[in-house]
Amino acid sequence: MVAEPQTIIEARNVDFYYGDFHALKNVSINIAAQEVTAMIGPSGCGKSTFLKLLNRMNDFTPGARLAGEIFISGASIYGPDADPVDIRRRVGMVFQRPNPFAKSIYDNICYGPRLVGIRKPQDLDVLVEKALRAAALWDEVKDILSKSAMELSGGQQQRVCVARALALEPEILLMDEPTSALDPIATAKVEEWIKNANLTIVIVTHNMQQAARISDRTAFFFMGELVEFGPTMELFTRPQETQTENYITGRFG
Amino acid sequence: MLEAQKGFGRQRRYREQKLAFLAIRLAAGLSLGVMAAIIIYIVVNGVPALSWAFLTEFPRDNMSAGGIFPAIVGTVLLAVGALLTALPLGFGAAIYLAEYARPGPLVTAIRLGVANLAGVPSVVFGLFGLSLFVTTLGFGRSLLSGSLTLGLLILPTVTAAAEEALRQTPASFREAALALGANRWQAIRQVVLPAALPGMLTGAILALGRAAGETAPIVFTASAAYTLLLPDSIYREVMALPTHILNLATNSVHIEATRPQQFGSALVLLVLVLGLSTFAIVVRAKLRRGRQW
Ligand SMILES: Nc1ncnc2c1ncn2[C@@H]1O[C@H](COP(=O)(O)OP(=O)(O)OP(=O)(O)O)[C@@H](O)[C@H]1O
Ligand SMILES: [Mg+2]
Repeated sequence: MVAEPQTIIEARNVDFYYGDFHALKNVSINIAAQEVTAMIGPSGCGKSTFLKLLNRMNDFTPGARLAGEIFISGASIYGPDADPVDIRRRVGMVFQRPNPFAKSIYDNICYGPRLVGIRKPQDLDVLVEKALRAAALWDEVKDILSKSAMELSGGQQQRVCVARALALEPEILLMDEPTSALDPIATAKVEEWIKNANLTIVIVTHNMQQAARISDRTAFFFMGELVEFGPTMELFTRPQETQTENYITGRFG
Repeated sequence: MLEAQKGFGRQRRYREQKLAFLAIRLAAGLSLGVMAAIIIYIVVNGVPALSWAFLTEFPRDNMSAGGIFPAIVGTVLLAVGALLTALPLGFGAAIYLAEYARPGPLVTAIRLGVANLAGVPSVVFGLFGLSLFVTTLGFGRSLLSGSLTLGLLILPTVTAAAEEALRQTPASFREAALALGANRWQAIRQVVLPAALPGMLTGAILALGRAAGETAPIVFTASAAYTLLLPDSIYREVMALPTHILNLATNSVHIEATRPQQFGSALVLLVLVLGLSTFAIVVRAKLRRGRQW
């Protein structure tokens, strides 16, 4: 690493509540552009909650409340001028379980582009191929694009979901345990893709080896707090906090 | 000794299992048998009355001759009318309940209302339709009044089935669409509805099959004992198969002489209703292909 990389996501003193439940406590973090940032921590510590704040998916949770500010490329995404729909297009998301629509592979990939008004078949064809190539799925499905995405294997489905998100050419991709429902071979393919991807990725994972394999930086959350954040190698080899050390050495789960 | 007990226990469990299976088989066989008996009875008695003329002609000679064409047409029109009434209302209510409504007293009340409505005897719907559509709104005894009444009758079933189908579509579909920049209505219309539609339609068509066979809701609101012509507007009375059978069997001049017509009509009605159910099942199977989750 030559220079300090450019910050693309900045969270400043973020507190988040589900009703009375204080799910995130004063979280501040700077996430670097073009890097893979992993979020680890025990179940229920707020990783998914934090991730969903970054593309305003928590807007749909009744009774949820946010304090603090989050900036993407310098603009506040919860400010009065922010457009949640626009933010979700710039910040894509891949979920824990593959969730392709009950539509053809082609229509799955086209869903986002069609929403923004791209309708010409020639344009869509180009986008579909590009997105599927980017998700390393093109060769496997190029002859069966009209087949239902539900008929693919789990790993292929998850890469359809990646391609579907990529078709909008997002600046950032959020991934919430994207390989937890996949077998080792499918996992390896998705990991391979993440390592070579040319965009900012924030990934939640329960698998510390995975975090170590694919991420540049790692954030450790514990009970709603961001305990430690730093380059992945350092965090795993020389953790600064006892809680981090206990967690990565498996002393609690 | 312990070993012996084990063996004994196993033997007894085995016997119990055999007995249980036998009872279940008997129950299944019995209900199947009763159903088959009814169908065979109607087919055997109805088939002699069937002919091309029976299906395509108007009744003659005080219903003792001729066909049941206007009753078939009337039943189909009433069924279509009921569907046109119940689908928009029922699907709308189901979408509201499943997708938009925040849990609370209002939603609980609506859902209780829907559930209770499903248990109301059909004759009550008939009287309600008579008072509201026929009299108060002045639609008279007509295709319109009958369709609206039948529509209300199947509304709770249509709503409940549609809500169930919507709830069974995974929340992850919604999330995925929203995360791609869809608004809530787009997510529902483009992703949730297409996925839920087979289930929603199946429920509706099954309900319709039931409605097509109902007598009480239309006897006061829509059905004529006899019409000279097919209806040329929604304000006309229509003949219908269930009320036609009822009339022949209770009111007609020649109750005995019209037995073949009664069974013939019953058979046609049965085929119509079973046909609708089969159609519903085929539609579901077709639409579901490659869409399991
Ligand atoms: N919609 C919600 N309403 C109320 N509480 C919620 C909601 N979603 C999450 N929580 C609570 O917030 C806390 C953090 O949840 P979150 O899903 O962010 O955890 P997580 O770190 O992603 O856990 P996991 O590793 O199990 O996915 C948990 O205690 C959870 O019970
Ligand atoms: Mg989570």
